[in-house]
Amino acid sequence: MSNVIRIYIPNETSANSVGADMLYQKISNLIKDENVKIIRNGSWGAFWLEPFIEVEKDGKRTGASYRNIDLNHLKTIEDFFLNFEKKNPFDINEIDFIKKQNRIVFSRIGQQDPLDIDYYRKTKGYESLLTALEIGHQKTIDRIKSSGLTGRGGAAFPTGIKMQTVFDQDASTKYLACNADEGDGGTFSDRLIMESDPFSLIEGMTIAAYAVGASKGYIYLRSEYPLAKGFLSDAIDIALKNNYLGKSIQNTDFNFEIELRIGAGSYVCGEETAMMESIEGRRGLVRSKPPLPAINGLFGKPTLINNVVTLATIPALLSDQHSEFSKIGSNKSVGTMPFQLSGNIKNGGLVETRFDITLKEMIENYGSGTKSDRPLHAIQIGGPLGIYLSSSMLNTSLTIESLDKLKGSIGHGGIIVFDDSVDMSEQARFAMEFCVKESCGKCTPCRIGSVRGVEIIERLQKNKASKEDAILLENLCETLEATSLCAMGGMTPNPIHSIINYFPNELIEK
Amino acid sequence: MSSGQNNTVDPLTLIEPFIKMKGGLIPALHTLQEHLGYISNESIAKLAIAFNYSQAEIIDVITFYDDFRTKPIGKNLIKICLAEACQSQNCKKLLTDISSQLNLTLDETNHDSGITLKEVFCLGNCAIGPSVMINETVIGEATAEKIISHLEEMVHRDNE
Repeated sequence: MSNVIRIYIPNETSANSVGADMLYQKISNLIKDENVKIIRNGSWGAFWLEPFIEVEKDGKRTGASYRNIDLNHLKTIEDFFLNFEKKNPFDINEIDFIKKQNRIVFSRIGQQDPLDIDYYRKTKGYESLLTALEIGHQKTIDRIKSSGLTGRGGAAFPTGIKMQTVFDQDASTKYLACNADEGDGGTFSDRLIMESDPFSLIEGMTIAAYAVGASKGYIYLRSEYPLAKGFLSDAIDIALKNNYLGKSIQNTDFNFEIELRIGAGSYVCGEETAMMESIEGRRGLVRSKPPLPAINGLFGKPTLINNVVTLATIPALLSDQHSEFSKIGSNKSVGTMPFQLSGNIKNGGLVETRFDITLKEMIENYGSGTKSDRPLHAIQIGGPLGIYLSSSMLNTSLTIESLDKLKGSIGHGGIIVFDDSVDMSEQARFAMEFCVKESCGKCTPCRIGSVRGVEIIERLQKNKASKEDAILLENLCETLEATSLCAMGGMTPNPIHSIINYFPNELIEK
Repeated sequence: MSSGQNNTVDPLTLIEPFIKMKGGLIPALHTLQEHLGYISNESIAKLAIAFNYSQAEIIDVITFYDDFRTKPIGKNLIKICLAEACQSQNCKKLLTDISSQLNLTLDETNHDSGITLKEVFCLGNCAIGPSVMINETVIGEATAEKIISHLEEMVHRDNE
């Protein structure tokens, strides 16, 4: 077996978007020798290298980028290997981008076929579920609480406390709902977990469901992620066949099933109460809180709602990685955070690291600067409801606390880089326009205020010195913040405020 | 999967598995659209009876979600991402290029080419934008040329 040569060609949305699928077709047609095998692995999350093809030979695995490379002239697999050697292949674990990260939750991505459950088990997969089943509900919750994990979906609520609330409810039926409606522009960490390590999510869901006493789980997946849908469906089937889902899981009295629900192109359905409405088959209208979903959630039952990365972190917290995770960082910013570096950036991708690194480190050390080589001008942090920082604010630390002080949030971890060709007044206009398009329509300030917001900003674009419009915009933002039920309306002013404050004279002349 | 099939399946047969399902209306709508290309008046009438809703309530749900449509669209659906990461990669220019080269604007179908163009906010391909999605295939570092060559390849494959 030792003379088998393995070729790794990722099967992941970003890799396929720049040709991995086509290269796979081409290379697999060249293989006539049964000693050469292709593995469709996940992506390493170093997207500027995709499609990154690796060859494993004599125990050594190296790879090279095949971006914009046509292999149609190759006749045999030997031709491919010669072509590959000429590209100076390297070990991806040796590049700074990967080496400097602290991958705990994303430790498996890129390594192997994401649906290879034997590989998952070999790398401690499902050990944590067995631990949970052994130590019982309360001790499992205690482990999550003591880890310091906060929700990675955007709100950063302590995960263990939420689990305790659901567990403490006296109800015969409880639900788990995994929020996989990753709608923030500039984010892809959930997608990467679902496509490149789906068992970690399924195991995390199973542990969480066991801990709180839920027997049914839903994954609410956005429709824009068809590849993730395929991976999740397959992974659920495999888990069922191996008794990690279904009845009497691992010979205990614990039953748990997962149903995949596909969204239908609505951003606001990523808000937890709108998501529940959608799962129940209605318009995604936000519900008022209280009651909290943990007490009265899906179909009126206590429901644990977490996003994909939060749930996929849980297995690590029941393993010997618990202390490694909880020792990192402080306050709410404990553990690692999967930042997603995107936009006008040379080396964009998934960066799992401690929270307290600076924006400068993120953009320069990981990202290697703008893709256009033009001066950096703005960085949007935390999605459409996050804030824009200017190039003079690169010393900002990316902790939850530090961004809170700037009236922003790390949200779901998206970091979007813009060069100096960006028109910040246009970004402000878009923030309002996005709210017009995605508001669920329940609260008047969000539904109508956003329309007025676009109009005011368009007037300011023509006359930045208009005091009247500047005051009107300020009042409108205040109303949105104070009177919207959810973050959609309540946080839409965040990017606008940041543009007014950190980009003087670009929207409003002071 | 092409976005605009049309055959003579009875909507009720498609709806059937979802009637007893908790919150089955949205999965039912997805299935109807996948098989019939859009949600027809006939489908709405049958959904209303099956789910014990008024037709207005069914339409209420359909119109909330961007994915659902009540009219047929072209054979191929192009969704162009106009969210922030793609904005930083000049998706507006891409939109202009696509519009002029394929001769259609947003939310419009070119009936000669059978292509419909829609906007989308984020395809999760943000590190290598601008991105578009043609039916279920995402294209990164998209240019109008790349999109056209992809469409041509699809036609070529269909003819084989």
